[in-house]
Amino acid sequence: LVVLGALGAAGGAWLYLREEKGRRARARRQAELRALALGQGNFQLQDQAGRPRRKSDFRGQWVLLYFGFTHCPDVCPEELEKLSRAVELLEREPGLPPLQPLFITVDPQRDDAAALGRYLRDFHPRLLGLTGSAEEVRAAGSAYRVYASAGPPDEAGDYIVDHSVLIYLLGPDGLLLDCYGRAKSAEHIARSVRRHMRTYQPLHD
Amino acid sequence: AGGEMSAPTMEERKACWGARDEFWQCLDRHADNASQCEKLRRSFESLCPQQWVKYFDKRRDFLKYKKKLETEGYHPSETGGKS
Repeated sequence: LVVLGALGAAGGAWLYLREEKGRRARARRQAELRALALGQGNFQLQDQAGRPRRKSDFRGQWVLLYFGFTHCPDVCPEELEKLSRAVELLEREPGLPPLQPLFITVDPQRDDAAALGRYLRDFHPRLLGLTGSAEEVRAAGSAYRVYASAGPPDEAGDYIVDHSVLIYLLGPDGLLLDCYGRAKSAEHIARSVRRHMRTYQPLHD
Repeated sequence: AGGEMSAPTMEERKACWGARDEFWQCLDRHADNASQCEKLRRSFESLCPQQWVKYFDKRRDFLKYKKKLETEGYHPSETGGKS
């Protein structure tokens, strides 16, 4: 009985230390992201209904953001499915603030409001898509250090835009709280977003 | 945006991916001997935009190279030439 008690205590201590390690790793990562302070600026774009949208319009909201383009062969549909699924998972939980799914194009030349409307309706119903002039779109992307480079067009005028692939979590203060790469599942993203929502403390007023 | 083709719809994307997968499965069955898979290759090319065919061809090369690295390991002495 004493041995079982000791094992139980050791097991409990090991679990606590592992949790602690995870907490510290996450805290370090969050501190690094805050130091980078990505996502400054106040982009001015238009949504798929042609309405003007500024970044400041999203203050007070949680946002899950992805940069891509509609002529994308596979990555963008996969990432948007994943993003949509993560939002759906969180929608099922009462007591969590709403999460706004957001898409910004890296191909403003072809992705006008109509193109975004056609493309995005296959994903989450609240998924908002933004486009604008080349300068506006570039400015929005560079605030998040998004890499985007259009390849040479073929005879049909078609081209692929090579771009960095990340899903960004923005907190209600508009700053970047976390980002998720290709390997992160929808379930991982939902868990992470839930954790951020529960532990959120605004840095600024 | 005028004059350019619309992006493939969800249905068109899935048809393209299906044709690509069938072609790749054929290549897997025939140790990448593309001459054994000409019909599926044509189907793949007809259902996917040209730019996507090029992109997926490169992707297959990359995936095979990656698999080779994982199974055989990296042997710098064999690559010769470039450093």
